[in-house]
Amino acid sequence: MLIQLSQKQLKLQNELQEYFESLITPTLKAELSQPEYFEGGGPEFKKAMKTMGSDGWIGLSWKKEFGGKELSPIEQYIFVETVMRTGFPFPFLTTESVGPMIAEHGSEWAKEEIATKILKGELIFGIGYSEPNSGTDLASLQTKVIKQTDGYLINGQKMWTSLANFSDYIWLATRTDFEAKNHKGISMFIVPTDDPGFSMSAINTLGDVRTNATFYDNILVPESHLVGELNQGWSLITSQLNLERLALVNHGPVEQLYKDVLKTAQSTKIDNNQYLSDLSWVKHNFAHVHSGIEALKLICWKQTWIMESDQLNMAEASVAKVYGSEFFIEAYRLLMEVMGELSILKNDSDLTILNARLERMYRTASILTFGGGTNEVQRDIIAMAGLLMPRTR
Amino acid sequence: MDFSEQSHQTEIRDSLNKILSEHCSQELLKEYDANFKHDESLLSLLSANGFLGLGLNEKYGGSGEDLYDLGILFERLGYHAAPLSLSGCLVDVAQTIQKFGNEESCKEILSSIIAGEIYTSAILEPFNQDPENPMTTAKIENDQLIISGTKYLSEISSMAKSILISANSSEGVLLVLVESDKVKLTELSSTANSPLFKVELDSVRISRRSIIHEQGRGLEALRYLIQINMVMRSYIALGITEKMTSLVAGYTSEREQFGRVIGTFQAVSHRAADCFIELECLRLVNQQASINLNTSLDCENDALISKIWAGNACHKISYSAQHLHGGMGVDKDYVLWRYCLLAKECELINGSASQNIDRLGINITTNQ
Ligand SMILES: Cc1cc2nc3c(=O)[nH]c(=O)nc-3n(C[C@H](O)[C@H](O)[C@H](O)COP(=O)(O)OP(=O)(O)OC[C@H]3O[C@@H](n4cnc5c(N)ncnc54)[C@H](O)[C@@H]3O)c2cc1C
Repeated sequence: MLIQLSQKQLKLQNELQEYFESLITPTLKAELSQPEYFEGGGPEFKKAMKTMGSDGWIGLSWKKEFGGKELSPIEQYIFVETVMRTGFPFPFLTTESVGPMIAEHGSEWAKEEIATKILKGELIFGIGYSEPNSGTDLASLQTKVIKQTDGYLINGQKMWTSLANFSDYIWLATRTDFEAKNHKGISMFIVPTDDPGFSMSAINTLGDVRTNATFYDNILVPESHLVGELNQGWSLITSQLNLERLALVNHGPVEQLYKDVLKTAQSTKIDNNQYLSDLSWVKHNFAHVHSGIEALKLICWKQTWIMESDQLNMAEASVAKVYGSEFFIEAYRLLMEVMGELSILKNDSDLTILNARLERMYRTASILTFGGGTNEVQRDIIAMAGLLMPRTR
Repeated sequence: MDFSEQSHQTEIRDSLNKILSEHCSQELLKEYDANFKHDESLLSLLSANGFLGLGLNEKYGGSGEDLYDLGILFERLGYHAAPLSLSGCLVDVAQTIQKFGNEESCKEILSSIIAGEIYTSAILEPFNQDPENPMTTAKIENDQLIISGTKYLSEISSMAKSILISANSSEGVLLVLVESDKVKLTELSSTANSPLFKVELDSVRISRRSIIHEQGRGLEALRYLIQINMVMRSYIALGITEKMTSLVAGYTSEREQFGRVIGTFQAVSHRAADCFIELECLRLVNQQASINLNTSLDCENDALISKIWAGNACHKISYSAQHLHGGMGVDKDYVLWRYCLLAKECELINGSASQNIDRLGINITTNQ
């Protein structure tokens, strides 16, 4: 047994760290601290994406034949970790989920026009899965597509289409067969956001993350915009999900936050002879967070190791997702307790600590527990696939 | 033993609900999301209906010294997410002066508070973990005090006539009422957009007569203030978490997925039931603490227990409610999100659960 990164992997980590230090200029940082650009989309962000494209840092998981890097799962994990620690809103879903699927299953047009540009950092996708009445039960989606002689006519509404406000296309899940069983009538389309039939309205959220309701009104797309076979879309939706789940619970950002709060507590004097970190309950809170992060890191590392040999067990992917998403909520709480009332102050306030990162993080934490496959369903999977218990109904 | 509410208490709750539900609709609350969160007309209305005299003696125009009555007010303010921050005024200042002030200041200050005049307190200090031992100092020079220090999280200070300040002096801890125009105020921006201020005192000179208590009783008064603040804040927490729990019950009874109402999934109904359990515990420890504070000036452990439950309930119920609502829970067009912010504020101000557990642990393991 060996539980550590190899020399080569550590080298990659270093290389990436240095790379991002030079990529994230003060101007880019300033842009990303504005609420409307939290998730990217600004001019500096676009510039950085193009730089990463020309430096070959997009397409990590893509096969080499499509121009990708074909990094191993552990190397991909290191990449995600390093990027997330920097806070750069790298559009993983476009580059690592949608991109490789289009490269593999797209039409000639899609491969040349879309996949190539994603690799160059020139295109962003919004993900159009959820609908008002189809959240956890995604397979019940109703966005309707009718085949015409000159293509496909799309009508419907999506909910929570994040990034749609600055993306070029929507990766749209639609129903193409209304007779078939739920997940057997789904097809995937590439839908341009500059089509006159496309519109959206903003949804503002607790975490100041903007997302959107998106509307599709008689949008006609040519055959070339269908990805994969007609009615075979469900497998495209689910195929990359495990990797995606792992990226959601990467231990990098929470570890970075923990270290930064620890440093602050160690240098914060609470009276003439004591630092905040000298208090026993503060030590307790830090120890809780630290031991939680160790477990998360190991769960994630083990998964990437299993993925290298390609035998990912369903239960293990779900363990990471449930544990990670719920641990984040606890960790933010324990760290906020340490900094006490100071941690409720916002970024633009007097007396703010750590750029109000704690104040922002706690507001975004719940999304991971119901998004990306809700934790109740993940627990069903764990009981079934991990414990071989009967299926819950 | 009798856990039932008296009929006048149920009446207080009902009439507060009536006024507050009218004045705290979604549309009205929206106006305060980015503006100074203080509804002057609502405050006048509460005053006109006698609600600012809850927990205050009849001889000053109040409705009697029962702290459970006052608890109902804060519970309802929390439940309706009312744009009013009144614990500095009605709890810290009014209650402490009622218990420790002389007849003259009771008459003057309590009756003007009941009439709608705003006073506030400034007790907490950035980085100071022990509010009973203020870093703010008061130098005593003949019949003058010279006060220096920095306080924060003082409520609606910009509208307050005077601010009750805690300071250390050669005579021990003092609680002093300082006119607002003698201090420097900076508005803070905080998670729930509450009107909170930093208060700086730079050698502020005031008369000794501004000390609100008898000589030598400052620490006792400050401890009382901190405790009753914890308990009343826990009542706000009770209102907030009760509202979140009822939103959960309503939403999960209607939202359908997989062709059925999500509340019929056992995992969903059980998590909602856990919120109910948490809420019941919080309600009971609050009731006990407020009743005990009616007859004793020092109920530290009761107050700590209330605030510990409040911190935990705010955290757990907030995340359960968000989770059980799915995306709807974080959508700012829906109701829940404001409660999530208030819950975090309530959880952390005047001692987090971890901090208070430590304190309670010390209290119960050393002889009391
Ligand atoms: C900020 C944000 C960004 C998002 N971005 C995107 C995006 O870019 N693209 C996109 O397509 N979607 C996006 N989503 C949507 C997200 O994927 C959904 O919120 C998620 O799938 C849950 O669906 P729902 O919100 O409809 O909740 P529901 O499915 O209605 O769930 C409500 C509650 O019921 C529970 N529940 C449901 N089914 C079961 C069951 N069988 N057993 C037990 N419990 C159950 C859930 O766990 C949850 O607690 C985003 C959401 C948010 C909040």
